[in-house]
Amino acid sequence: MNKNFFQSSIKDSLFTGLIALALFGPIVGLRTVAVNEALVVQPKWLVVGLIVLACTIGRFLINIYTFKKEQRRGEPSSISKIITNFLDTKGAQIALGAVIFSVIFPFMPFADRYWMDIAIMMMTYIMLGWGLNIVIGLAGLLDLGYVAFYAVGAYSYALFAIHFGWSFWICLPLAGLFAGLFGILLGFPVLRLRGDYLAIVTLAFGEMIRILLLNWYDLTKGPDGLTGIPRPSFFGLPFKRYPDEGVETFHTFFGLEYSPMQRIIFLYYLILILALITNFFTIKIRKLPVGRAWEALREDEIACKSLGVNPRNTKLTAFAVGAMFGGFAGSFFATRQAFISPESFTFIESAIIVAIVVLGGMGSQTGVVLSTIFLIGLIEVFRDFESYRMIAFGGAMVLIMVFRPKGILATRKPTITMRKEK
Amino acid sequence: MRDNLLDVENLSMRFGGLLAIDDLSFSAKKDNITSIIGPNGAGKTTVFNCLTGFYKATSGSMFLNKDNKKLDLKKFSDFKVAQKAGVARTFQNIRLFPQMSVLENMMVAQHNKLMIASGFSILGLLNAPSFLKKEKEAVEISKYWLDIINLTNRADDNAGDLPYGDQRKLEIVRAMCINPHLLCLDEPAAGLNAKESAELNKLLLFIKNEKKTGILLIEHDMSVVMGISDHVVVLNYGKKIFEGTAKETKNSPEVIEAYLGTED
Repeated sequence: MNKNFFQSSIKDSLFTGLIALALFGPIVGLRTVAVNEALVVQPKWLVVGLIVLACTIGRFLINIYTFKKEQRRGEPSSISKIITNFLDTKGAQIALGAVIFSVIFPFMPFADRYWMDIAIMMMTYIMLGWGLNIVIGLAGLLDLGYVAFYAVGAYSYALFAIHFGWSFWICLPLAGLFAGLFGILLGFPVLRLRGDYLAIVTLAFGEMIRILLLNWYDLTKGPDGLTGIPRPSFFGLPFKRYPDEGVETFHTFFGLEYSPMQRIIFLYYLILILALITNFFTIKIRKLPVGRAWEALREDEIACKSLGVNPRNTKLTAFAVGAMFGGFAGSFFATRQAFISPESFTFIESAIIVAIVVLGGMGSQTGVVLSTIFLIGLIEVFRDFESYRMIAFGGAMVLIMVFRPKGILATRKPTITMRKEK
Repeated sequence: MRDNLLDVENLSMRFGGLLAIDDLSFSAKKDNITSIIGPNGAGKTTVFNCLTGFYKATSGSMFLNKDNKKLDLKKFSDFKVAQKAGVARTFQNIRLFPQMSVLENMMVAQHNKLMIASGFSILGLLNAPSFLKKEKEAVEISKYWLDIINLTNRADDNAGDLPYGDQRKLEIVRAMCINPHLLCLDEPAAGLNAKESAELNKLLLFIKNEKKTGILLIEHDMSVVMGISDHVVVLNYGKKIFEGTAKETKNSPEVIEAYLGTED
């Protein structure tokens, strides 16, 4: 039987080689070169041969290492499985470790301006992912226009701060509130929609908000964007080298040397705290009746109705809560950039956030963190390749979908257990 | 008719050119099991869908006698029938929340009560003792029902992982968690073996006798229908063709004709 398996593996890999030859032969092997103003075909059979050889050997290795084990144990055994098992059993310790690491991160020796900026960006995506996780992961409503709430949060923060001069801590909840209201506004027309139809309408909603921001020139300055958004201050102490007369700054108050990093570190902790609030809120609300109703609605809406669960209110709260966190993240974005324009809120942002949630494993909080590090990290690592880095992004998505079709972390823990109650 | 739990009068349901229910009237008494039987396509499930608000009946009326008050079921739309009138139902093709645990399924059924206890999530977020107490009570209620169907030791497993027969029973006790006045069961014995149907009979009699809940039952399994029904309504092509006790139904020539056809 073992010999049989060996033979079939060789057969299978030779067949793979044949496919590779058929594909790469014409694509890579035949190259047209201009010689003396005439096009000449220049064959590159050596390269083709190497590619085909690599494909064949690779397939053979996969065959004997992965598929063989599968046959033996009756279930797929791969590195990802080991990782998931590890994450399942040691989840709490890993989460704690991750939090501690993120708290001390700014004081690491390698944490220069570049790494801090990436960390802040990742943290923003993690927060957005956690916010959208409520809508997609828990309530099962595929929302492709999430960036609209991010935009509403950013613009309402900017407008309040510029026109009324209110401080960050007043504008932040207001921005969240506005985004939440927009969540309800979007929720009403899509109450009866599910799946693909819902996705299309939310996609359109996201575009509508962007186009509105682009064209409502009197309020939003259209494509010029809003400038001069106040920077956040540390409980009233601004981060400035040369403050206005009579204003104490952060570095003079604490008797420190001025450094632009102080503001960056403050921003980092700000988004860390906001993201952690989002996380703890989600973990908590999932265990409340409303959270269970969200998940039940994802599972079976008709069964929900038969049990007297109001599907309208349940959906609207999911949209509103998810949108509110999007709004919080938006106001952080506005205060960090000090400049916002509709450019920052295109569909690709929505798509990235949806990808983070889906690839992380619907409803999994840790999964969102992992997939953010994976996806956003890859984009950054491959920055030198310019626009080709999107290939890495796409490749990462394909890899996750192949090896973990339900997302990196697809296991779900019950919100309430009997054993504890006994 | 004070002791009637449910009065259906001249109910009709039309889908375009098809009259699925044609001028149907029947009543169900309190603490009784009323079975609705009939060949496939007779309109049994449509009656349920009208009663539980999933369809809006074309004409006719349905009244539920709740605490000596007559409630017009037509006035309640979908989820409100369960929430306000206390009519619970199960489905022909089981509708559990498969990815959620058995206990969570039971907790979702107690959603409305818990939602108020959690102060629409605000008290719940603050871990208010009053909410925690109510939540504990809800778990106790779930445990009570799970003990009855012997599923307590699987309470933390996903509902979708249970064997078929257990899923059927779980769906019934989940419906009981909303504390219904009337329980509508759509083919609860479908796909069960003889032992499981016997257990189902016991469960339904327990609900009827101990919980004093009226049951409306659609069923093809005659061992269930004949064994536990107090009253049988037979439908064919949307019309009521017979009404009586189980024994009378068994011997009725109209019913035999509907099921087996006429002798030439």
